Amino acid sequence: MISGLVQILLWQGLGELVSHFLLPIIPGPVLGLIFLLIFLLVRGHVNASLSLVSDAFSQHLGVLFIPAAVGVVLFLPQLRAHAWSVIAALLVSVVSTIAVTSLVLRFTAKKGAHDS
Amino acid sequence: MTPDGLKIAEIWVYLSGSPLFALILTLTAYQIGHVCYQRTDKYPLANPVAIAVLLVAICLYVVDMPYQTYFEGAQFVHFLLGTATVSLAVPIYRGISSLRSRLIPLLVALLCGGVVSIVSAVGVATLLGADAAIIGAFYPKSVTAPIAMGIAERLGVSPTLTAVFAIVTGILGAMLGSTILNLLGMKQWWQRGFAMGTAAHGIGTSRAFAVHPEAGTYASLAMGLHGILGALLIPLLKNYL
Repeated sequence: MISGLVQILLWQGLGELVSHFLLPIIPGPVLGLIFLLIFLLVRGHVNASLSLVSDAFSQHLGVLFIPAAVGVVLFLPQLRAHAWSVIAALLVSVVSTIAVTSLVLRFTAKKGAHDS
Repeated sequence: MTPDGLKIAEIWVYLSGSPLFALILTLTAYQIGHVCYQRTDKYPLANPVAIAVLLVAICLYVVDMPYQTYFEGAQFVHFLLGTATVSLAVPIYRGISSLRSRLIPLLVALLCGGVVSIVSAVGVATLLGADAAIIGAFYPKSVTAPIAMGIAERLGVSPTLTAVFAIVTGILGAMLGSTILNLLGMKQWWQRGFAMGTAAHGIGTSRAFAVHPEAGTYASLAMGLHGILGALLIPLLKNYL
C-alpha cells in the first residue's frame, strides 16, 4: 500500500515539475498520469501495491471533488439567471455526444472490417 | 448567555476553527450519498457526489459558515485530486490491451465525440445568452472531473463550475444513454460502452459496467483517453475557437 502511494506521489511530483518548467499548459497530475502510463507500458505489469492504491482511489474518486463542487453555492445567483441555457446546453451536448461517438464508431468499425 | 450556551458556543468556536469539522462533514455527507446510491440500486439521480454536495451546502447554510472557511478544512481532501488523477493510469493501462485491435475507430470516434461535446454545449449556451464564465466552464465538462478541474485552472475558468457541469453531464448521460443508443440501433456492447465513457466519463462508466462488463471496460477506456486527449487538446481548441 505504502510503496504504491510513494510511486504515485513521485510520478505526480515529476509531473508537477515538468508542468511548471516546461509545459505550463498541461496540468501536472495529467503529466504524472502520462508518465506512469508509459512506465507501466514499458514494464508490462502493475504491481500489487500500486493496483491496491489505484483501485481505492477510483472506487471513491467522487469524494475528492466534493470540496470544490460545494463552491457552487457561490455561483447560485449566476446559475439561476442562466438556468435554462445551462440545462439546454448540457442536455443537447450529452445527447449529441453519445449519438455522434456511437455512430462514428459503427461507421469506422464497419469500414475497417470490409478492408481487412 | 447561560453557562450551558456559553459552553456550546466555545466548543463550536473550537470545532469550526479546525479542519476536523470540514473533513467530518465532507466524508459523512459522502457516506450518506453512497448509502442512498446503493439502496436505490445505483440509480443515476441518486448520485453520491450530488447528494453530498447538496447536504454539505445545506449544512453550511444552517450553521452560517462561509464557503472559504469550509474549504480551508476540506482542502486536505481536495489536494488528493492530483494524486487520484495520476492513479488513473492503472485502469487506462488495463484497458489498453483492448485498444490495440481497434485503435483507429476508437480514436476517431473519441475525437469526434469530444469536439461535438464542446461545440454543442458552447454553441447552445452562447445562442441562449449565457455569460462568459459559464460558457468557459463548458469546455472541459465531458472530461472526468479531476482532470476537467485541472484543465479549467489552466484555461482560467472556474474549476467549481466545471466540476458541477461535469457531474450533471455524467448524471444525464447515465440516465439517457441506453435510450439514445437503443433509438440508434446500436448493438455492439463495446461501441455502446465507448460512447457512454466519452460523453459521460466516470458516472457513465459506472452505468455501463452495471449494464454489461464489456461495455464497462470500453467506457473506462474512453474516459481515460478522453482525459488525456482533453488535457492536451482542449487548451489549444479554446485558444483558436
